[in-house]
Amino acid sequence: MTARDDVAAERPASASGREAAPTPVRGGLVVRDLSGGYAPGRDAIRGIEFVAEPGEIVGVLGPNGGGKTTLFRALLGELPIRRGEVALPGRPAYVPQTERARLDFPVSAFDVVLMGAYARTSWFRRVARRDRDAARGALERVALADRADATFGALSGGQRQRVLIARALLQDAPVMLLDEPLSGVDGVSAARIEAVFEELRAEGRTLLVATHDVRQAAEWDRVLCLHGRQIEYGRPAAVLSPETLRETYGAELIVLEGGGTAVGIGHHAHEH
Amino acid sequence: MIDLSAPYMQRAVLEMLLLAVPAGLLGSWIVLRRLAFFTHAVGTASFPALVLASAWGIAPQLAALAAALGFGVAQERLVGSRRVAADAATGLLLVGALAAGVVLASDVFESGAGVDKLLFGSLIGLTERDVWVTALVAAGAVGLDAALRRHWLAAGFEPDSARALGLRPALTDRVLLVGVAAAAVVALDAVGALLVTVVLVVPAATVRMLTDRLVPLQLGAVALAAVEGVAAVALADDMNVGAGPALAVLGGAVFAAVAIATALRARVVTA
Repeated sequence: MTARDDVAAERPASASGREAAPTPVRGGLVVRDLSGGYAPGRDAIRGIEFVAEPGEIVGVLGPNGGGKTTLFRALLGELPIRRGEVALPGRPAYVPQTERARLDFPVSAFDVVLMGAYARTSWFRRVARRDRDAARGALERVALADRADATFGALSGGQRQRVLIARALLQDAPVMLLDEPLSGVDGVSAARIEAVFEELRAEGRTLLVATHDVRQAAEWDRVLCLHGRQIEYGRPAAVLSPETLRETYGAELIVLEGGGTAVGIGHHAHEH
Repeated sequence: MIDLSAPYMQRAVLEMLLLAVPAGLLGSWIVLRRLAFFTHAVGTASFPALVLASAWGIAPQLAALAAALGFGVAQERLVGSRRVAADAATGLLLVGALAAGVVLASDVFESGAGVDKLLFGSLIGLTERDVWVTALVAAGAVGLDAALRRHWLAAGFEPDSARALGLRPALTDRVLLVGVAAAAVVALDAVGALLVTVVLVVPAATVRMLTDRLVPLQLGAVALAAVEGVAAVALADDMNVGAGPALAVLGGAVFAAVAIATALRARVVTA
């Protein structure tokens, strides 16, 4: 099966007219020959082409500046797309890196989660009762129900990440884009986040998870390797070869080989 | 105590009470969205327009609003060109506006006597129309805040997700800047072009030290701005100074007192 066949079958809407597309792809996410960037004449990402089915977790690997966040911005419709097409089953939810959120804002964890319901709340109304209940439920799913009234900035890094994930849960989006959600979080938070990923997979949602942890990506359904352009896409067992990783990370791989991550790569590579 | 028998004092007190509404509602956003310098610059930018307005006999609020909006557009152009950083662009335009105003006032129209009134405000100079315009802006601030507070909150808290949350930050943030410009324009009748931040920033910044929630922040800032405003009018009348300088001294003192008190309390709690 090639991605191209799937694309042809699903008739993706053009990137520019995406918002008005009457027949979005059901469930999954289709990207075909996507190139784009902010600076005129220079593409930050190019040649991106993959299909992610409903209920799949895609690990997005790449060095810093390799285009992981840029790809997410393109999928959110915020990056000028010069070539190619994106087909989404609906507006994706986005979970930013926690450092992007202001810690000095006067908001509770619950207030932050409620933002996930803003799109379906008219300006002159309070957020609906069922959305408030759902926000409490989302905090429960990330095991933070007891911290609902805590000020966001007073939470630990892992807890803040879980709050931002709960906000995305409340959005109830078919596709979720998560920017390094497991970087620098404590063990308890990481375990809880991975459990939520499993639940979302079972619900048939598509998750794109940017990560630096190759070993972790090997556990998921697909791996997308980026270094400005797309290096490889497919099942982890087929994609995560030493050659592909070297091509993906370039010089950064040398750093990785000294750390625990590279051990995982090594094991994986030897098995095949 | 405050003597309200004179009509100019009634107008001044009413003006301060009305100003407290945008000062609290929009002032909280100014503090949270880090627009204090922009606010100061917008007030200063209107100074040359006020000189022109008094020389040509046109409505000062209209001239000031035009200057403030023109300043906003110029600022966005300068930043958009990516050759100047935002705060450098603000500083550049601020100094230019101040210089233009001084040159216009002293050399072109030779109306030097009125300059300090324009820069630091005047109690006696307030007209009934000034108060009406302030009431209009106060009502507008209530409406804007009710309609867009979620947009401003989400985009300020974390801008990357705003569009994914179904919001339109580019549009709503621009509306916030226009609202701030309008608030600055009505504030400068009372406190002067150089001191709009003492009413639009200082009360909200003071209350911010006391609360970690948005609604208490906004209501507290409205209340504090009202109390400080009325007290400043009384003080100004007593000491025969402008309302702006009186409010600056008063607001600064309250801010300092709260800052010291909260710092001491934090020390006690952590010790």
